[in-house]
Amino acid sequence: MDILDKIIEIVAETCEVDRSEVNGDSTVGDFPAWDSMGHLSILNNVEEAFDISFEPEEMMELEDVNDIVKAVEEKLA
Amino acid sequence: MITLEHYIRDHALSDPYKIALIEGKKRVSYGDLWARIKSTSLWLSQRAERGDRIIVSATKQIGFVYTYCGAHLAGLVCVPVDSETNATRLARIIDVAKPRLVIGELHHGDGIEVVPFSAIEEGESEQVKMPDENDIADLLFTTGTTGLPKGVMLTHSNQMAAAHSINEFIGNTADDVELLALPVSHSFGLGRLRCTLIAGGTIVLLGSFASMKKFYAALEEYHVTGFGMVPAGWAYIKKMSGERIAQYADRLRYIEIGSAFMSEDDKRLLMRLLPTTHICMHYGLTEASRSAFISFHDEEDHLTSAGKASPGVDISIIDETGNMLPAGIDGEVCVKGAHVCVGYWEQSQDEFLLDCCGDYFKTGDWGYLDKDDYLHLVSRKKEIINVGGKKVSPLEVEEALNEIDGIKESIAVAMHDDVLGEVVKAFVVCSTPLDFEAIKRLLSQRLENYKVPVAIETIDELPRTSSGKLQRLALADK
Repeated sequence: MDILDKIIEIVAETCEVDRSEVNGDSTVGDFPAWDSMGHLSILNNVEEAFDISFEPEEMMELEDVNDIVKAVEEKLA
Repeated sequence: MITLEHYIRDHALSDPYKIALIEGKKRVSYGDLWARIKSTSLWLSQRAERGDRIIVSATKQIGFVYTYCGAHLAGLVCVPVDSETNATRLARIIDVAKPRLVIGELHHGDGIEVVPFSAIEEGESEQVKMPDENDIADLLFTTGTTGLPKGVMLTHSNQMAAAHSINEFIGNTADDVELLALPVSHSFGLGRLRCTLIAGGTIVLLGSFASMKKFYAALEEYHVTGFGMVPAGWAYIKKMSGERIAQYADRLRYIEIGSAFMSEDDKRLLMRLLPTTHICMHYGLTEASRSAFISFHDEEDHLTSAGKASPGVDISIIDETGNMLPAGIDGEVCVKGAHVCVGYWEQSQDEFLLDCCGDYFKTGDWGYLDKDDYLHLVSRKKEIINVGGKKVSPLEVEEALNEIDGIKESIAVAMHDDVLGEVVKAFVVCSTPLDFEAIKRLLSQRLENYKVPVAIETIDELPRTSSGKLQRLALADK
């Protein structure tokens, strides 16, 4: 599974929506459950899934799925 | 002045072009706001009788403000409801309030006829009857630990009393631009809306703190001078943006923080980052909003307290037989003032008086007053779980758990969480071994995410009092 797929899976599970509803442009606020608490859960789950951690300054920039994918790719590079 | 609507009318007359509300690209002046409130009132009064209840729901739309104030002008009672309210709670609220109309947006409103804000037509309405200060303005439903959620009846004068004491404490003026990132259907968000509009200031509706980029962009673009948040909101801002808020230290004149646990370290960090901002934290509950206040910078030696009684409010500590207790002795926190609700919807006055001790309303919180009259909260008698500012009734979680095959009974309690303050933890008595992850998935179909227990443990039997009452606090992680 590539990084994008994995992150879409995390977002879909956390927000309780079907995977087909999530894409690279999906962003905070798009689903009722993607509120501040949901956003923290998503970022925590991403950190765990890839064994990485984000700094506060980085976290603020992570708003949509593509942002998160890019940040994970940079961390793993 | 007797109601929020009186203030809006007067601002519309004295300064009609002043901006009252901003949502995205939309800007509404006081003049336009008053016109829309009047036309909404006309539309509503053609569909509902004075004294009827209407449910109004939204997270941030301007339409909410038109409908909320328009309903008051039409003599209706507003029942503000979170748009994410689950179907079970919604059904109970509808059963108790028997609303004539449901307006706004509900995400779990299957089978309920919900009128969107856009269906409310604009029209001309010159003849208006201003609300009476003793009319019931709102019914706010509490998160009950026993039985059904209760509809707290607040009159216009209750709400004005609270609003005036907040404005006196915080010092809001017409020059303020407030960023409202709290949901407008909630008591805290509504209170901030009321306070800013009374003062003739401008409200920027953001609806949520979720996007920190939007939050900071709004601070910048609208020259925001203050905002309200719950302690979990600060934990979120801190986690997502570190110390960036300090860049706005010179612009932020005030912050009002809602009542929930906030560590002294968090308070001191906020003070360090915003050394001249008037940072105020309130203590209150739906029945007696903003009963106490503390200003962090001005009362630095009392940061571990919940502050002193708000202007016009009296706080006493009372024991179980109704005696007032001296300084330093724990008892039930009781409050008296014009802001205290007049009762519960469809409950007799006698029943409401059970929640009172003479002129004082019993909050259900336990604490003491120190020798300087600062209120210190020790524990809660009520067992509500506060997940990042969202109130969870243990009863609701337990009901959902108990319906799962294999669970004989359960108890839901608060568990400490560094960011959210509290999260839900459940103890279950099982008849067969169960997969807890599967239980969580089942629960998430019935409950909002934040109500689903983060941790579940099995237990042989639930702690009970000698009379058989569940002892939730015996298992709570405090």
